[in-house]
Amino acid sequence: MSVTSEANAGHSSFRDPAGFVLHHQGRVLRSVNRDFAAAFEEFCGSRTAREAVEAGELVRTEKIAHRYLPEVDARDGVLFEHERIPFVSYPYEWPAAMLAKAGRLTLALAEGAIEEGFGLKDATPYNVLFRGSQAVFVDVLSFEKRDPLDAMWMAYGQFVRTFLLPLAAERTLGTPACQTLAAHRDGLEPEQMYRWLGAWRRWTPPLLGLVTIPKWLGSRSEGQVAAAIRRERDPAKARFVLRGLLRSCGKQLEKLAPRREAESAWSGYLDRKSLYTAEQLRQKERFVREALHVAGPNGSRPCTTLDVGANEGHFSFLAARTGVSVVAIDSDPAVVGSMYRRAAAESLDVLPLVVDLARPTPAAGWRNGECASFLDRARGRFDLVLMLAVIHHLLVTERIPLEEVLSLVSELSRDYVVIEYVAPEDPMFQKIARGRERLYVELTRVQFEAAAERRFEIVRREEIAGMHRCLYLLRRR
Amino acid sequence: MNTSHRVLWSIFRVLLVTVALLVTVPVEARAYADPGTGAFLYQAAYAAFLGGTFYIRRFLDRLFVRRK
Repeated sequence: MSVTSEANAGHSSFRDPAGFVLHHQGRVLRSVNRDFAAAFEEFCGSRTAREAVEAGELVRTEKIAHRYLPEVDARDGVLFEHERIPFVSYPYEWPAAMLAKAGRLTLALAEGAIEEGFGLKDATPYNVLFRGSQAVFVDVLSFEKRDPLDAMWMAYGQFVRTFLLPLAAERTLGTPACQTLAAHRDGLEPEQMYRWLGAWRRWTPPLLGLVTIPKWLGSRSEGQVAAAIRRERDPAKARFVLRGLLRSCGKQLEKLAPRREAESAWSGYLDRKSLYTAEQLRQKERFVREALHVAGPNGSRPCTTLDVGANEGHFSFLAARTGVSVVAIDSDPAVVGSMYRRAAAESLDVLPLVVDLARPTPAAGWRNGECASFLDRARGRFDLVLMLAVIHHLLVTERIPLEEVLSLVSELSRDYVVIEYVAPEDPMFQKIARGRERLYVELTRVQFEAAAERRFEIVRREEIAGMHRCLYLLRRR
Repeated sequence: MNTSHRVLWSIFRVLLVTVALLVTVPVEARAYADPGTGAFLYQAAYAAFLGGTFYIRRFLDRLFVRRK
C-alpha cells in the first residue's frame, strides 16, 4: 500500500499484504483482505487467543459491520476493531527487561498457536505494545494458518535479530538494547554482532549458535535456502520440531535477559543520593497528591500523567496508586528498567520509557511515518505533567532556555503541570553548573513566575522548607 | 547437570548441528550473501537435529508407557 495514498490508514502496517490498520475517530480498525479474513476470525476464536485476551496479553478484537462505518475505506477488506492501547511505545524506548518480556510473550503465543494450526509469520518487538507495565501483543494478523507439515519457523531470523542479539549486545558489550534498536530499527545481523565480539566471546554459547555459526554459514553459502526448508511427512513431528525451536529461542532469551538492571549513577537516587530529608520528601509527596486530586479524574476517563525525569519512579508509583495512568520517562535505561520491574511486580499502571525530553525519540521507518516521534504521541495527551527536580538539568546541562522548556511543557499538558523550581543557589544546581553560575544570574523565582504566567495560571506555590526549591501547580491558560 | 556440563553440552550440540549442516549442504564461497541466510541455515540444521530426537523421544515414550 502507498503510505500517503490513504489519509486514514495506519502508517505502520503497510508491509503486510493480508491487511492494514486504520485509525478512525480515535478507534483502531483493521481491514483484513477477504482471502485471509476467515482464518483471522478463526484465530481470534481459538482457545489460545481467547485465553490471551482474557489475560490481557492479546489485544481484544471484534468484527464490525462495514455498513456502520461507510466513511471508512476498507478497500474491500473485512473490518475488525481492536481495543485501543492508551500510549504507543516502541522497542527503542524500552529497557532490556521490557524487550525480554515482549520476547517471552511472542514465543508463548507462537507455541500456543501451533497446537491450533496457526503459525506466527513475523516475530518483531513492534508486534507488542505495553498497557501500563503489561505487554500486549497487538499485531493479531501476524498469526496465519500454518502448513501442518512445515517444520520451519520463518520468523526465526527476525526473532534473533530484533530480540536476542540486542539483548546479547547489552549483556556482553554493555550497549543498552534500546540504543541498539534506535540505531538498527530492524535489529542486528549476526555479521554485525560478530565484528563487535572478541575472539573468545564468539565461541561461547549462546553467541556461538546465534552469531558465529550463522555468520560463517551466511558468508560461505548461497542458494541453499530453498533446499534447506524442512517439510516433514508427519504433522506430529513438524509440531515437535517447531515447539523445540521455539523453546530453544526461549532458553536463549532467558540466558540473555537481564537478571537485574545494572546500577547507574541515577540508581537509588532518591534513597541514597538526593538532598531531601524525610520531612522534605513528605512535603513534596503531599503537594503531588494534592495536585493529582485537583487534576483528575476527568469524567469517565482516568487522569493521565506524564512524569518527566521519573528516575526510579517514586512519584509515578505514588500517582499510579491513586488510580492515575502514568507514562514515566527518564533518559537512563538502568533506572527505567528498575521502574518497569517494580511496576510489573505490583501491577501498577505505569508505562516506563527510556526517553530524554531534551532529545526526544524521533519519527522512524519508511518516510518517517511508521513510528511516530515521542512528541507527536505525547502532545496534549496528559492531564498532568510532573517536572520534579528536572528543570535545572534542562536549563544547565542541556542549555535549553526557560521559555522553551515552558513552551514544550504547555504542549504536552492538556491542563495541569507540577514544576519544582530549583534556584541557582541550590547545591545540585551548582554542582551541575560547574562554575558557570554566571550564566544564570538572571534566573530568579520572580523571573520564573513571570515566564510561567505567560502560559499558565499559578494555582499553588509552596517552598520546600529549608531548600532553595519551590513547588508550583500550574494550569494552562 | 551442573553449569559447566550444560555449557559443554550446548557447545557440543552446536558443533554437531554444524557438522550435520556441512555434510548435507554444498558450500560455495561468494562475495555477497543475503543477511539472514546464515540464521536460516542454522535453523534448518537445528530442525534436522530436533527431527532426529523426535523418533528417540517417541521410542522412549512408547517404552515407558509399555513398562508402565
